[in-house]
Amino acid sequence: MRLRVRFVLIVLCCMFAHHHATEAKAQYLNPKIKEKKVTIRSAVILPAKVEIVKESAKGAEMMVAESADISNKTVEAVGQALQKKKISVVTNSFEPAALDDARKYTLADIQSRYDALLPKLTSKSKDVKKARFTLGDEVMLLNAPKDADVLVFIRGAGRMFTKGKTAFSIINIFSMDFPFAQITVGFVDARSGEVLAFTKPLSASKVLKDQKSLNKMIESSLKKLPAATP
Amino acid sequence: MNRKRFYPVALLLLSLIVSSVPVGARPLPIRASQASSANQQTGTAEQTTDDKFVFGKVDQDLLSEINLLDERFEKDGAVYHEIGLDAYLNRVGTAVVAQKKLENVEWKFRVLRDPVPNAFALPNGSIYINTGLIALLDDENQLAAVIAHEITHVSRRHTYLRNRSLRKKILAINIINTVGTWNPVGGPVGIAIDLIASISPLMLALSVLGYSKDQEKEADLEGMKSATAAGFAPDGMPNSFKAMQRDVEGEQFNSFYSDHPKLQERVTYTSSTIPADAKKPSEDDAKTARDDYLALMESVDRHNVDLAINEARFRSAVYVSQKLVALHPDSSENVFYLAESYRTLGPRNAKLNNEQLTSGAKKKATKTRSKRTLEEIDAELLKTPAGQEAWKANSAESEKLFLRSLELNRFNARAHRGLGMLYERLNRKQEAASEYAKYLELAPNAIDTERVRRRLAVLRESMN
Repeated sequence: MRLRVRFVLIVLCCMFAHHHATEAKAQYLNPKIKEKKVTIRSAVILPAKVEIVKESAKGAEMMVAESADISNKTVEAVGQALQKKKISVVTNSFEPAALDDARKYTLADIQSRYDALLPKLTSKSKDVKKARFTLGDEVMLLNAPKDADVLVFIRGAGRMFTKGKTAFSIINIFSMDFPFAQITVGFVDARSGEVLAFTKPLSASKVLKDQKSLNKMIESSLKKLPAATP
Repeated sequence: MNRKRFYPVALLLLSLIVSSVPVGARPLPIRASQASSANQQTGTAEQTTDDKFVFGKVDQDLLSEINLLDERFEKDGAVYHEIGLDAYLNRVGTAVVAQKKLENVEWKFRVLRDPVPNAFALPNGSIYINTGLIALLDDENQLAAVIAHEITHVSRRHTYLRNRSLRKKILAINIINTVGTWNPVGGPVGIAIDLIASISPLMLALSVLGYSKDQEKEADLEGMKSATAAGFAPDGMPNSFKAMQRDVEGEQFNSFYSDHPKLQERVTYTSSTIPADAKKPSEDDAKTARDDYLALMESVDRHNVDLAINEARFRSAVYVSQKLVALHPDSSENVFYLAESYRTLGPRNAKLNNEQLTSGAKKKATKTRSKRTLEEIDAELLKTPAGQEAWKANSAESEKLFLRSLELNRFNARAHRGLGMLYERLNRKQEAASEYAKYLELAPNAIDTERVRRRLAVLRESMN
């Protein structure tokens, strides 16, 4: 009897896990975008921060180089998704190597302003629809190209499991411990600093290894973002 | 006990025993030639010194990740650079290190652009001191003590030891969870296994954190010894903790667990190790040491005020700016920083009162900060009489200071910009527009020209 109950629970857990492992496409638009008071025609993508860790049965390990690599790939994926919406994209104007100390510091400060807002954005994403969030006009300190409408902030976290950890997670199915990747993309008005759109797709960790899956995930997560009209 | 019952129980107990023995108490891989001499010197078999630390694959992997992380701090603009400051930190750090040569360690002393009072060490020898901590300390002895504390973490290989310990404990937690999940035993023994399986991961997790408290104490005491041996005053360590006790932002409260011993506790045990006959500096010498340190750190402190304002640590900004003005009261720049701090302080009081310093009030404020945006907090405060009063007082103080800054240097463009922002908030549009115009005239190529130009345009449009 006891084992039969466990079997049912396992099946339920598998269904729950499968549901959550598939892409969750949460997208939130500021009324200004929805009501077409603001149209995004040009975007500046800031350096992304996607942190991934390798988890074994003995705990998590940093993957600094891989994190940098996946960050660049995510910038690429977001860029491609925006271009498909006829939004022109600038990706390399904030390459750290090309910046002097003062500009590097300014970029870091704006990034940390966004990082401070991110927990609220993530937990109360629906409030983007109420135009609740802003970074302030300090974003103009970045001196982005004059025609830029938005700054794009990309953040993410992901876990990759070793074989040992995978075995443990299957055996301990009740602990709901699975590899995943969550990427958030925030579109911030390049002049006022207002958050105009926010998306937080969640996916299985395969997107961390496969560029095509990543592109697909990002593209579908930006589905609601209106295309630029001439 | 039959076999069916024996295996889960045995596995559980084994994982608990293996994971609960601290790493320091188990023999680490020791080079045979070095073991005996090291033991003779230290008199203990357990003490982990640099001499007997042997790098395993896990440690090498961690080190290579840490080296990459170090490079990333630099690339991301997290490290503050200033030629004089870098050289000074290197001088203090090198004095404390005292030619310690360790495998896989290259000593680097750096300032991290972070207004939170903190310092940390990476196991590759990079010591980072936040601008927020530099601004809080009073003299070179305290700085040397902080550096010495971090150096001990590196020289005693604390990160590697903790990582090894953590890995074992996490493995144990995974095994325990598995046993608990698939426990086929019924009856009282089965209930007991379930109970152990559900409690032990928490106990192990706490023991992982608890281990760090010992390392912190070791770093405090050993660090104190090395700083004193390098010629710095022995009271630098307790005094640095006293400086950190200034809870300017109301962030220090008792949480369920903290990896550092309490500050007062640290003051007590480090003070008790100072020899009674240790030479105490005179009042004048202490003041000179304070002023010398502050003068050296003036530009970092100014930078820290900018960072503090950016990260909404307005009270810290006021605190540090006040120190700057006390050091050089006739510096237009320093007065500007104080004015800017008061302007951004808005409806908050500059110093937390006793009511705001209670543990409950601090926790509540932290919760509010995590839920509300800055604009919402300001709006809520402005609805209260205390908030209104603070806003009026801060605005008046800020205006007075901006004007004083301009009196000291009428070409201080940023003081004009600050006044413009203050007047704009006070709805004194004409004056705000005039100040913005002066700013643009004095600093046509500043980084925020576009921002100010836009503000001016919006103001002018609203006035027409």
